[in-house]
Amino acid sequence: MAARTTVPFGPQHPVLPEPIQLKITYEDEKVVEVVPAIGYGHRGIEKACELNEYTKNIYLCERICGICSYIHSVSVVEVTEKLWPVELPPRVKYLRTIWAEMSRTHSHLLWLGLLADAFGFESMFLQFWRIRERVLDLLEMTTGQRVIQSVNVVGGVRRDISPEQKKTCIETLNTVRKESEALIKVLTKDYTVKSRTIGKGVLTKEQALQLGCAGPTLRGSGVREDARLTKYDAYGELNYEPVVEEAGDSYARALVRARELFQAIDLQLEALAKLPEGEIAVRVRGNPPANEDVMRTEAPRGELFYYAKGNGTRNLERLKVRTPTFANIPSLLVMLPGCELADVPVIVLSIDPCISCTER
Amino acid sequence: MPWMLPTILKNFFGGPATRLYPAEVREPFEHARGQVSFNEDKCTLCGTCVRRCPAEALSQDKEKNELVFYPARCIICEVCADICPRKAIDLIYKWRLPFYTKPVEVYKPRGKESGKAEKEAAATREPALNN
Ligand code: SF4
Ligand code: SF4
Repeated sequence: MAARTTVPFGPQHPVLPEPIQLKITYEDEKVVEVVPAIGYGHRGIEKACELNEYTKNIYLCERICGICSYIHSVSVVEVTEKLWPVELPPRVKYLRTIWAEMSRTHSHLLWLGLLADAFGFESMFLQFWRIRERVLDLLEMTTGQRVIQSVNVVGGVRRDISPEQKKTCIETLNTVRKESEALIKVLTKDYTVKSRTIGKGVLTKEQALQLGCAGPTLRGSGVREDARLTKYDAYGELNYEPVVEEAGDSYARALVRARELFQAIDLQLEALAKLPEGEIAVRVRGNPPANEDVMRTEAPRGELFYYAKGNGTRNLERLKVRTPTFANIPSLLVMLPGCELADVPVIVLSIDPCISCTER
Repeated sequence: MPWMLPTILKNFFGGPATRLYPAEVREPFEHARGQVSFNEDKCTLCGTCVRRCPAEALSQDKEKNELVFYPARCIICEVCADICPRKAIDLIYKWRLPFYTKPVEVYKPRGKESGKAEKEAAATREPALNN
């Protein structure tokens, strides 16, 4: 029998900028067992949200995650709005959709770059990040900040997209699409990329459903499931169909994200074209009533779930967040055993782990 | 890497993708948020911004007539600028430079002395949003 070695992967590891530990037991070069350990990045944000006034929660929840910060702020704002409930003007719904898809675009570009980096394709990594910079510029132009937009308030948004900005957005998005197409061709046709991802970390449809995965990890295994199908914000009025791939390996997950990148650009262009005129905020009076509700939104990494309970005061009684990576970590226990030592970083990255989200 | 070739060639002849910062600085976007700036002449020390600041970056001392701002805590969210009834706070596009010791800025609001201007401003002010 071959000798068994246990090697800690993380909490500090070059492919992961965030701390998670996987205790991986190898038999020669093959992985036989994985034990994840989380808890290095816990900040107590849920508790802090109970102590804050509800208006201040938005700025705190945005900081749960640096990449999907916009989706977090949409979720916390909309779950709070549901307590009254507040009827939103149509323009607000469209603006929120546009910014949410913009943040999905930059998140997927970031991930595609990180994937290239994980198997040592440094030049492709930087090319993707170079394109991402254009999307961040759009966010800065329309919301005022690149990463933490702070643009939502309960009852609306604080910034509008002017006609000139709309024109710039459309031009830039078309450039982003053209540039990404050239790079995605490398991803889908290059021998190196294929040999490092095809057949690695296979997650079958049954396993994905059983483990309760979310987002591109679930859709990469052939399950048509997406929180945008609940038609929140303006998604009900846009031409939207989830991207599904059947294979269930790292390559399928990469393809789902690559196709979603173009879909996000299409959704933005469509929403910009349909952008209705009107108010960008409605006045919300009083404190959140004693009521409870949930909100499901689709973050770039999967379904994000918020639960809020009001009690008639300025503070919420409870705010619960479940993030997509928390749902996706169990899938690693199925994907990793049987793979080679050198494939571990790519497979771990293929679920797009966001650890600070998971631990809050 | 044949599929990467077009990108490589484009980069080879396309010049650098970056700017020669700090010699060459990009034009800031209109209304991008850089840092908070106060106008002592307009502020009446009403305390709205102190209560609403999500990062507790502001505090007031009514007796000493002081508004204290802790820039290291500020998250540049623009709530104070939106909420101020006298429009005494503005966000300017100019990054605060790194610092070794945490700065504390003390302002001496003078807005109360010009009571007439206060009434005029209150009459013309736009309703603030729900933040
Ligand atoms: S800056 Fe504005 S909100 Fe703050 S105390 Fe002065 S007048 Fe009031
Ligand atoms: S910008 Fe935000 S964090 Fe900074 S002082 Fe104003 S309200 Fe506070």
